[in-house]
Amino acid sequence: MQAAGNPPRAGRRGRGGPNGARPKMSNQALRRAIRYVWQYPKVTWAAVGALLIATLAQLAVPQLVQEVIDTITSSVLNEMILGLPANIQTFAAGQLGLDLATAQNELNGAERAIIMAGLIIVVFAIARGFFSFAQTYLSQVLSQNIAFDLRQDLYAKIQRLSFSYHDRNRTGQLMIRATDDIEKLRLFLGQGLLLALQSIILLVGTLIILFLTNFRLTLVVLPLLPIALVSFMVFGGLAQPLFGEAQRRLSRVNTILQENLAGLKVVQASVAEKREQAHFKKAIDSELEQRIKITRMFAILFPFIFLVANLGQAAVMYFGGRQIMNETLTLGEWQKFSLYLVYLFMPLGQLGFIISLMAQAAASADRIFEILDAKNDVENKPDAVELGEITGRIAFENVTFRYFEGSEPVLQDITFTAEPGQTIALLGGTGSGKTTIINLIPRFYDVSAGRITIDGHDLRDVTLESLRQRIGIVLQETNLFGGSIRDNIAFGRPDATEAEIIAAAQAAAAHDFIMEFPEGYDTPVGERGSTLSGGQKQRVAIARALLMDPHILILDDSTSSVDLSTEYQIQKALDKLMHGRTSFVIAQRISTVLNADQILVLDKGRIVARGVHEELMEDSPIYAEIYHSQLSEDVELA
Amino acid sequence: MIDRQAQLLGMEAQKAQSISGTLKRFGAHFRPYWLPLLIVAAAIIFSTWMQVRIPYLIGQAIDCYLTPYASRVALTGNTAGVTLPPAAAEFFSQMAGDTAAGSNCTYTTIDPTASYQETLTGFTQLMLVMVFLYVGSSVLTGITFYAMSWAGFRVLRDLRDDVFRHIHRLSLGYFSKHEAGDVMSRLTNDMDTIQQMIGFGVVQVVQGVLLIVWIVYVMFRDNVPFALISLVTLPLMVIFTKWFSDQARKAFRQARKEIGSVNADLQEGISGVREVQAFSREAENIEQFRANNAANRDANIKAQAYTSALAPTLEALSYVSLAIVACVGGIAILRGGSLMGSAVSLGLIFSFIQYTQRFNMPVQQIALLWTNIQSAIAGGERIFGLLDEVPELTDKPDAAAMPPIEGDVRFEGVWAEYNPGEPVLKGVDIHARPGETIAIVGPTGAGKTTIINLLPRFWDVTDGRILIDGRDIRDVTRDSLRQQIGIVLQDAFLFSDTVLNNIRYAKPDATDEEVIAAAKLARAHDFIERLGEGYQTVLGERGGGLSQGQRQLIAIARVALSDPRILILDEATSSVDTRTEREIQKAFAVLLHGRTSFVIAHRLSTIRNAHQVLVVNHGEIIERGTHRELLAARGFYYDLYMSQFRRQLDAGESDEELAEEVDAFFAPAD
Ligand SMILES: Nc1ncnc2c1ncn2[C@@H]1O[C@H](COP(=O)(O)OP(=O)(O)OP(=O)(O)O)[C@@H](O)[C@H]1O
Ligand SMILES: Nc1ncnc2c1ncn2[C@@H]1O[C@H](COP(=O)(O)OP(=O)(O)OP(=O)(O)O)[C@@H](O)[C@H]1O
Ligand SMILES: [Mg+2]
Ligand SMILES: [Mg+2]
Repeated sequence: MQAAGNPPRAGRRGRGGPNGARPKMSNQALRRAIRYVWQYPKVTWAAVGALLIATLAQLAVPQLVQEVIDTITSSVLNEMILGLPANIQTFAAGQLGLDLATAQNELNGAERAIIMAGLIIVVFAIARGFFSFAQTYLSQVLSQNIAFDLRQDLYAKIQRLSFSYHDRNRTGQLMIRATDDIEKLRLFLGQGLLLALQSIILLVGTLIILFLTNFRLTLVVLPLLPIALVSFMVFGGLAQPLFGEAQRRLSRVNTILQENLAGLKVVQASVAEKREQAHFKKAIDSELEQRIKITRMFAILFPFIFLVANLGQAAVMYFGGRQIMNETLTLGEWQKFSLYLVYLFMPLGQLGFIISLMAQAAASADRIFEILDAKNDVENKPDAVELGEITGRIAFENVTFRYFEGSEPVLQDITFTAEPGQTIALLGGTGSGKTTIINLIPRFYDVSAGRITIDGHDLRDVTLESLRQRIGIVLQETNLFGGSIRDNIAFGRPDATEAEIIAAAQAAAAHDFIMEFPEGYDTPVGERGSTLSGGQKQRVAIARALLMDPHILILDDSTSSVDLSTEYQIQKALDKLMHGRTSFVIAQRISTVLNADQILVLDKGRIVARGVHEELMEDSPIYAEIYHSQLSEDVELA
Repeated sequence: MIDRQAQLLGMEAQKAQSISGTLKRFGAHFRPYWLPLLIVAAAIIFSTWMQVRIPYLIGQAIDCYLTPYASRVALTGNTAGVTLPPAAAEFFSQMAGDTAAGSNCTYTTIDPTASYQETLTGFTQLMLVMVFLYVGSSVLTGITFYAMSWAGFRVLRDLRDDVFRHIHRLSLGYFSKHEAGDVMSRLTNDMDTIQQMIGFGVVQVVQGVLLIVWIVYVMFRDNVPFALISLVTLPLMVIFTKWFSDQARKAFRQARKEIGSVNADLQEGISGVREVQAFSREAENIEQFRANNAANRDANIKAQAYTSALAPTLEALSYVSLAIVACVGGIAILRGGSLMGSAVSLGLIFSFIQYTQRFNMPVQQIALLWTNIQSAIAGGERIFGLLDEVPELTDKPDAAAMPPIEGDVRFEGVWAEYNPGEPVLKGVDIHARPGETIAIVGPTGAGKTTIINLLPRFWDVTDGRILIDGRDIRDVTRDSLRQQIGIVLQDAFLFSDTVLNNIRYAKPDATDEEVIAAAKLARAHDFIERLGEGYQTVLGERGGGLSQGQRQLIAIARVALSDPRILILDEATSSVDTRTEREIQKAFAVLLHGRTSFVIAHRLSTIRNAHQVLVVNHGEIIERGTHRELLAARGFYYDLYMSQFRRQLDAGESDEELAEEVDAFFAPAD
């Protein structure tokens, strides 16, 4: 649909995962994931123990069945012989190598023997049932715990990765890793590994039994094993990158979905539904294509393994049959042999399935460790110290900053000092670097050159937590969380009292509107605060920052959606609250910045003018122009 | 007591109905892929037949070739020169199984005098038939697997497609009440559970059922009482399966809820990571996540306890039934070879031991898949539940396309609410004539955004009506309406796509030149040029990598490009500097000459030139007029306006002096 004139959307959602890693064969990540298993040695050993017992029990099944059959056969035989006319009895018994007295004895005890054999099976069944339950259950415990650990590690890492990492990655992509990829890895670690162990034990155990039963016949099936193993390795190697690609395509599907949910209003307003649908269709089609590709491969692998196994069985039948006819093998032996043969080929089939699990898991493990290994651009130095009591002097010394290595600097040679208790206003055109400057203070990014000090300490020498706890910040883009208004205000200090929360809300001029809601502070704000108006959101965000009782307050354009009289109220409250503390204010509205102790006028990443209002009115044409355009233009009109 | 029974029954019926309903809907989705399904069905029947046929042939190889030959050899070897009494001869031949009565050989007629060579040839031929069957069944397995996955994946794809389309049909109202995360999880987690079933799972279940039916049939054909005895554990198996899977389903339901909160945590933790770090909430968040993560783990382990108990239980039961068959059969033979009036022979016992062993395999398989089936059906229910969600806003059946808009917009007594009973707009009247600029001002939360949300029908009025060029907007199709309205939302949403594609989002067929012209108009061209790859720069999530003001400029360029008949700017320049804003205004004035526009802004410099200024408070329009008229009226608007200067006044600048100055500035000239 709508193919004509549809612009190519080269870049959109086209980028790969973090670092854009390309498919590569690596079992290193998988090996590393397997190491997680050893964090639970007790459970692991218990599971392996249960598995050993359960598997050995499984190996005993043919033997047991055989014994029951033997008991029945011999009783029947005995009965037949004893039922023959006396003259032939001896002869027949002699022919079969039996002794009449023993036969009589056996026959008398036959019922008991049969019942005993039956009871043994029942007891065995219970034991086998118990241990195979223990095996599966323990492996689930193990794998769920590993999934828990991985997810926890992943979440912790994501929470601590610096802004620059999140600039480069999409929520949808990271989500898929913490859910789908971990699940795939879990399936392998929980089921695959133990099943593989079981298969190998079965395989080896059966081989031993077979060798003991009939050496020559075993040689017949032996060549099949390397064939199977080689095809597993080949398929496994081929499948892993395919699975990796499938996961990448799934991420893309998810990203489109997420963006369409987040930007639904824009989609609907632009009447772009059809296009988005076509786009989504393309993404799910491409995922489908990849899945089918994988299916095609396994539609060849699985039957191939079955065929190899079955042909093995046929070969044994054929050669065994010939041996019987050549009298080098008895029928009974041959039957027992073929019973065990099943245990040789069943694990082969299982291994085929495990290979597919493993290939998926390896692809997913790669993607998981990619995040866990991601370099964090902003971290505590090993010898970072706690920031003690501060007065709040912040000094930028020749600060230069660029978002990417090698790109144009966004800030150049920024130098200024905010004295304790001062209000610094940043003014400047769109994209001039105001937000970037204040982003450096809580170390969301680190400077590229120069340094920033707080009370004389380089920011990079103190711990992130102690620094950020002293800063209250209202980011330019307001983001609230899905809970209630109270939860959102108490975000930075979950232990705040009701009185403190209300005080913060009052200072942010939010208390009144909150109380107008039927549920007051318990009103849920919806995802990202979607049920609040723009100005209401901003005021909740201001309250959230004020509750931190910060030494340094940063307001980045945080009253842009607030009307003038409400803003006036907020400012009056702030003037009182922030007495003796340092604050940074960014605003496009000149009335917001008029009273600042220092106004820095920025242009293209440089400070082009500084001073107080009166000074700037004289010295800075840019400033004067802004002032007049907002506050005195009517004169011209008049 | 009775009530409770009835209630339970009622519940059961309801559950069953919804299961069959869900299955039916799946069926409907499978209909387009009837051909592969037909192939699958044929392949299943054929390979089931083969599963029965192959063991039979193995038995025949033994009974027809190996046993007779071996016993003949043994006999001739051991009994050479001895004349056997008839009874002994019969005994031996019965042992050998080559008399007509005692033999199980039905594949071929046994020639008692066949030579080694002849026997070998016959045996080899039979083996070749087997090899042929093996190859055939492997190919069939491959075809079944492929065809089923082919169809299954396509059904899933179609379902996803349907859900995605449905999301677009659902109004914004749905999403202010339901979490996007929930919708996401339906499209990912629930689809996943179905995917696990829909390919090979279904095939295995169908094949298993066929196999069971076949084996039961054969059992009853061979010996009815013995068949009953071998199936003695079947009711137990059914009961256990049901109990375990019921428990598992409950536990899984809990687990699903827990994974839901894990997902929600992830989503919020990732998308709100900047706030988390700004407020040093990492440790708390990680702890909170640990709690949900652990709850999820424990719920899963609990659910898995039931599922991992089921298979061993069934396996144990199958051994028990084996023991019963062996014991009862053995004893029956010892006691005269009859069971409840039917003859029991050694061969019969052997074949029944085989039957029970083979019967148990599909039973176990189905039991294992049972929980998966349950959760797939539950997943299907959730997905169909979403698809059944009726869109609140739909086009009337007889809705016509909106003709080119002149620009006469009327709100007549409009009421609107988000939550029933809490009106946000209370009787709003507006009349915008073609070409007019209407400014809407007022305190935050007064209802400004709500007013303009009604125009493109993001929400519908609850009372009153909105007319464009005299037509009620509910009488025209939404698409034709929205195509002519350009709206810049309060929070500029950008896609993580190239700048170019973001600008031409509402007009995909625009040329690069048009895009650049629009960007120039929105004063975005200069900074776009400075980006790493210019217009081809791929933005981060929600426009990451741009400053807030830059995002707004791109959103404005997007609307400028779409050349709307009605323009709505909802605080579109709140983060843009005044100079740029003024330039944009001038450019728009030219571009939109003769078009109606609505502008919401707090910076009053933005709205000074509007034809009408509407002051909204508490959902009502309390003042209207031009900027000057309203200032002159010295009402609400005047107060709002003056608060810009109050800080300067507070700061101690001589009150009177400033007041005079201000008065001089703003007093109406006339
Ligand atoms: N989706 C929603 N669900 C429920 N209530 C809502 C929703 N959107 C807005 N509201 C409420 O409706 C009222 C009016 O909101 P609206 O967004 O129209 O205000 P506004 O005048 O645009 O304010 P601002 O200047 O802050 O943007 C507010 O009290 C708000 O909390
Ligand atoms: N995360 C980022 N990655 C790369 N570049 C960025 C990033 N954030 C901002 N920039 C660029 O850095 C420059 C300065 O942006 P900044 O956000 O500091 O502007 P600003 O002065 O706050 O503007 P506004 O008034 O629009 O908010 C802009 O050109 C912008 O494109
Ligand atoms: Mg900014
Ligand atoms: Mg609004």
